[in-house]
Amino acid sequence: MPFASVLFAFVVGAIVVTVTGGNPIDAYQGLLCGGLGIACTQGENPALQIANTIVYTIPLITTGVAVALPFRAGLFNIGAEGQLLAGAMACTALGIKLHDWPAVILLPTVLVGGMLAGAVWAGIAGVLKATVGAHEVVTTIMLNYVAQWLLRFLIIGGPLELAEGTSKSLPIGDGAHLATFLPNSDTLQIFGLPASVYRVHVGLVIALVAVAVFAVLLWRTSLGYEIRAAGQSQKAARYAGVSVRRTIIVTMLIAGAFSGLAGAIQIAGVDHNLTDKYFSDTTGFDAIAVALLGLGSAVGIVLAAILFGALHAGGAVMQADAGISSSLVLVLQALILFSIAANFLNAIRLRIPGLGQAPSAPAPAAVGAALMTEAAVAPPQEGTTTT
Amino acid sequence: MSAITDILQLLVTANLWQVAMVSAVLLLLPALGGVISERSGVVNIAMEGMMLTGAFFAVWADLNWHSPWIAVLVAMIAGGLMALIHAVVSIRFRADQIVSGIAINIFAAGLTVYLVRTIYGLQDVGHVVPAEALPTWDVPLLSAIPFIGKVVFQQNVVVYIALIVLVLVEIVLFRTRLGLRIRAVGEHPQAADTAGLNVYVIRYGAVITSGLLSGLAGAFLAIGVSNTFVPNMTDGRGYIALAAMIFGKWTPRGAFVACIIFGLGEAIYANNSTIHVSQYLLSMLPYLITLVVLAGLVGRSTPPAADGIPYAAGSE
Repeated sequence: MPFASVLFAFVVGAIVVTVTGGNPIDAYQGLLCGGLGIACTQGENPALQIANTIVYTIPLITTGVAVALPFRAGLFNIGAEGQLLAGAMACTALGIKLHDWPAVILLPTVLVGGMLAGAVWAGIAGVLKATVGAHEVVTTIMLNYVAQWLLRFLIIGGPLELAEGTSKSLPIGDGAHLATFLPNSDTLQIFGLPASVYRVHVGLVIALVAVAVFAVLLWRTSLGYEIRAAGQSQKAARYAGVSVRRTIIVTMLIAGAFSGLAGAIQIAGVDHNLTDKYFSDTTGFDAIAVALLGLGSAVGIVLAAILFGALHAGGAVMQADAGISSSLVLVLQALILFSIAANFLNAIRLRIPGLGQAPSAPAPAAVGAALMTEAAVAPPQEGTTTT
Repeated sequence: MSAITDILQLLVTANLWQVAMVSAVLLLLPALGGVISERSGVVNIAMEGMMLTGAFFAVWADLNWHSPWIAVLVAMIAGGLMALIHAVVSIRFRADQIVSGIAINIFAAGLTVYLVRTIYGLQDVGHVVPAEALPTWDVPLLSAIPFIGKVVFQQNVVVYIALIVLVLVEIVLFRTRLGLRIRAVGEHPQAADTAGLNVYVIRYGAVITSGLLSGLAGAFLAIGVSNTFVPNMTDGRGYIALAAMIFGKWTPRGAFVACIIFGLGEAIYANNSTIHVSQYLLSMLPYLITLVVLAGLVGRSTPPAADGIPYAAGSE
């Protein structure tokens, strides 16, 4: 299914490129080169391309988890972007205010601070869902925009601004930097380039630990059982003694912490300050595609994150080499989402005689099914059944 | 204190309300689209993308044919086609309507920038200047009324169209058989089906209508207000429209009140020179107000019962 969705997107994407007068082979060659360092025509360095893809992949893994975990509880977290920004803002604020602290204390402080900020941001949606039944999709959309405007305030005329007119924050203290794997040296040559150009940082390890924590939490703990139970049927979960309200709030808090961590890692590992590029950041929205395409599993999330990381890194090379707008990547991403959501290929296959029968009942969409549970449509009625 | 008196002084000027009306209409059209779509039971968070698509194609058509009216038509068709995708995916394929809505918004953001680059060869921040703008028109006699004349009757033609659409949607939804059918399909599709209504046709019609209205709003933004196309120029207006729809409890008149409030806010912070608060903090207000409304602090806001649930004939 996931592979077919990606294939579908690339086929339709090729049609879009052809119709608009481009050459799809050139386009995809550019993507392949920029994403995986394969089939480069303009002498790009394959190692550097792969390194760039990994840098893009890191926040997609953690935010992918932040979308996938609430999915299991029947919650749709489209606020990963706002939570990521909250984490990035908290990390930057702490990294600036406490810039003279030693790294052993400062680095954990900024990362945990980012996680807490993300948790609060998502927690608002969780509490509203659990107490008054406000739909988390709507609240997280609103919170995304609140975070975006707060970010603009902070770095344009606000307390974190570097200097007037820069649209940048002050840099965080050196102690808050996440180390890169390779030394930041301009003289040491690795694969023909100075070691400092490879920006792969320790955040990769943190992201992989995060996705492992997600898997263990979901399948090996009682909280994970409660999350899955609430996602299957709130009524059944309640009979099994699960407090659905508590589960909703805790799930959102944890999800927000993952997103906030992604934002903090981006600041600590890559940018070291907030800039206007965060105004148009889409990591938290890409994460929705990552979670859906990865079928909500740990391995799937990592693979899907690599795919989208490669697409993002590849888009720039495609634009430079083949002259095709990197926005094609967004088109591909939307097509993947349509395809997964609608289960197009399944529907088409079933309509071809001999391959199967047309479904009499709605075909359960593999992941979308989690959204169609009671939790996604009705506010919890806990108070009426337990007392 | 002076900030408050400044705002109060601003609030009695017709100029402010005239600007607020334009901002409000940019939100009202997609909000009305949202009301129609969700009343029929299809969650629509894709107004942002439909509006953005409309904005691009309005400029594109205006440059090609030098007629704002053809541009409006093309923008509405473009918005309608985006809505058709949402309708096919979420009604025919019974996909998750939120995923489909997100996909529409990403698709629109990508496609419009892709087309700007491909057709006009411009960078991502490129501006496309349209040939002919939508005209303003002073309504004879009425525009001479003090205050109200300036606010309501000295406006862009799209403002008049939007106000007429508002009245039409209110009447159709709550005073006609068609409106009853739309609401029945959104509240209890099984019962509506049993009563002989075609749930699918009504939902398709409602979703496509939301695309037409969002496309019109996009055209107004691009060739009525801004006279340019900038990537992502809708800047969250489709989502504020969503907020207005919820704030207005899924009714056209409620959404209109919300749009006026949000529009006034936008007009006030456009006049920011007198108010010493960051415009960025003020920009949060529509979203914060909506959160407060959702928190139930200003009365409950409940969506139609079958909103967001795909309908399969014969299922329970």
